[in-house]
Amino acid sequence: MNSHFCGSSEHDVSRRAFLRTLGAGTGLAASGIGAMHSFATPSLNDTLKASGKSVILLWLAGGASQLETWDPKPGRPTGGPFAAIPTSVPGVHISELMPQMAKRMKDICVIRGLNTKNGDHGGAAQLMMRGRADEPSLRYPDMGAVLARELGRADSKVPDYVSFYAATEGRDFSRQGSSFLGARYAPMKLAESMVPPNLKRLESITELDHHARAELQQLINNQFIAGHGTGPVKSHANAYARVHGLMSSETLFDLSQEPAKAREPYGPTLFGEQALMARRMVEAGVPFVRVSRAWWDSHGQNFETHQEMVPELDRVMSALHDDLKQRGLLERTLVLAVGEFGRTPAINASLGRDHFAAAWSAAMFGCGLKGGAVFGKTDKDGQTVIEDQVGAGELFATVLAAIGVNPKKEYHVGARPIPLVNPGIKPIAQVLA
Amino acid sequence: MPTDPAKFKVAMEISRKDILLCLARVPETKRLFAGSSDGCVYHFDLAEEKPEGVAMEGHTGYVTGVAVAGKQVVSGAYDGQLIWWDAESRQKVRGFKAHDRWIRNVVATRDGKLIASTADDMVCRVWDAATGKPKHELRGHANLTPSHFSSMLYACAFSADGTLLATGDKIGHVVVWDVASGKPLGTLEVPEVYTWDPKARIHSIGGIRSLAFSPDGTQLAVGGMGKVGNIDHLEGKAHVEVFDWRKQERVAKFSSDKAKGLITHLAFHPQGEWLVGAGGDGKGLFLFLDVVSGKVWREEAVSNHFHKFTLDEAGTRIVTAGHNKLTVWEAMA
Repeated sequence: MNSHFCGSSEHDVSRRAFLRTLGAGTGLAASGIGAMHSFATPSLNDTLKASGKSVILLWLAGGASQLETWDPKPGRPTGGPFAAIPTSVPGVHISELMPQMAKRMKDICVIRGLNTKNGDHGGAAQLMMRGRADEPSLRYPDMGAVLARELGRADSKVPDYVSFYAATEGRDFSRQGSSFLGARYAPMKLAESMVPPNLKRLESITELDHHARAELQQLINNQFIAGHGTGPVKSHANAYARVHGLMSSETLFDLSQEPAKAREPYGPTLFGEQALMARRMVEAGVPFVRVSRAWWDSHGQNFETHQEMVPELDRVMSALHDDLKQRGLLERTLVLAVGEFGRTPAINASLGRDHFAAAWSAAMFGCGLKGGAVFGKTDKDGQTVIEDQVGAGELFATVLAAIGVNPKKEYHVGARPIPLVNPGIKPIAQVLA
Repeated sequence: MPTDPAKFKVAMEISRKDILLCLARVPETKRLFAGSSDGCVYHFDLAEEKPEGVAMEGHTGYVTGVAVAGKQVVSGAYDGQLIWWDAESRQKVRGFKAHDRWIRNVVATRDGKLIASTADDMVCRVWDAATGKPKHELRGHANLTPSHFSSMLYACAFSADGTLLATGDKIGHVVVWDVASGKPLGTLEVPEVYTWDPKARIHSIGGIRSLAFSPDGTQLAVGGMGKVGNIDHLEGKAHVEVFDWRKQERVAKFSSDKAKGLITHLAFHPQGEWLVGAGGDGKGLFLFLDVVSGKVWREEAVSNHFHKFTLDEAGTRIVTAGHNKLTVWEAMA
């Protein structure tokens, strides 16, 4: 595929340089031009890329209940059996299943007014990951791909987008992808293992040979680039360098590098281990990591399911918060906990809750966000949003804005400008620091 | 002539807005006490022309266990409290925090002298019904599942003579206790009811939800849900195993072909003619079993999910408590 305006990467670069002189905020954001090419060089938003910002998405696949997490309704017929507890923010209560997050609420931002209008797992997962529904002829890149492009550095030796999804249920629902941004920004998917396959050097090749081969390849590449230095060739060379870099960062995927004292707060579950791995990754410079915890789809025995899974979320999320804070990473890392939808306030005959997208919640903390902010309000039974309703687009735009990416920025597919969020969609200013 | 389970028909239904989670009957009467999702215990007198529940307020969580002990009623709830009530005046006699976590069941010996309560703190406590004083604290269940999540102690049951007490947890572990000494007499394992799904959904919802001793105390029936493909929907087959608990031998195993979901309550016919289980998924289910022959007398999905039931002394009337409904089933000619 060649989607440059004229097919010339030199033109592409010079155009970028030209547009850069126009400055930000012109509505003709330059960095996306040429993004459709899978070998295209990354955007030139050097300041943002150099900031080392990252996002960790805790993806609550299947749909966690807002009533058993961030928006409890104790004492109401819809409230279920769990109590609400006070938090470190006066007047703000969350489910008793989250005592650790309650203590940290001064750093947490809760969105209680999500109305995303899609109660189908697949469609809703795509909506939440992309901030909007696809068009018939255009699939939008997801949050990870956009942030990989905006935050990833060309010289990085680590992946730009990593996605953990261990459970088999719902794994393919969100159809993660970079779409027109190209394979460069597609996720490295880790499902069965926390270590990418084929990461280790073949035993038949010695360490010395491995390095010698890389040096030879780099020498040939450099000579070729000097004579025929097109964008795709450079990008191809970069791809090899990244793979080599990845192989040299084998220890990144090795949790045994972490002392027991660092591992203990995350707990012994797979979700905890993956969250710790996510911290290691953002520390190493990975811009976007999705850690999926499936499967919350509690049509039957909702309260048993949440009694099992919410304390795990509470432990893992609070451990991640503390770990990032202690390492000074919270200022440059945003953590978002959300799934494809919430669950019905009505309790069904098998003590379950069903799919519900009309009034549900998400929680965030870290980079660019106002700690202790609660935005949106639902009615006394949690059936409708009565104040400050937002959709998937606003949440998506808020993440972008918090991390320093202008949501009004545009990519181009052919001559068509593609804004990062749909026209008219704005970040939630009240939760931005 | 044994009561034919096929003859049980709906004799009365009382619609409710709440969820009735537990039920106990005053012996030799039609008076019932039911625990509700609204935190109240409700008294019903089915002898009335139009019985309506009279609320007894005191709990702050779902009321999940209720037992009649002589002239007192004892209720337990997710608030961890046990409350003693006067069965006649329906006034609160005493109440206190009995468990640190959700109380799952409250049962009484037939002579009304002892109460047992189980909770998610994984402790079964035996109480003097008359005074509310603790008699035993029975610890025989692990706090965590093998998958590192909190376990639950869902079920307990006294034998008819009150000398034995069985407790059953989420992972399928059963302990039979000597009530006099508080010492364990034996254990059983029913791993099939622990529905941990390590691959597709990475959580579980099963567990031992019901226990019942045979009238002579030699057999113990264990109820739950069997192997399930999709644990989102309680789609597993209703599952019952019966043991000669002293020999640790399973004498019968039933996995329903017609009814899905949890067996939330089990009871033997007073003369041991059959074993009845009830529960369900989104719907309800009845399972009548002949433990001796292995025959399934009746296996049926019905409209309303049951949480608990009572069976009268003659074995001819069953009252079920469930989702938005109290239902009276009578064996009709």
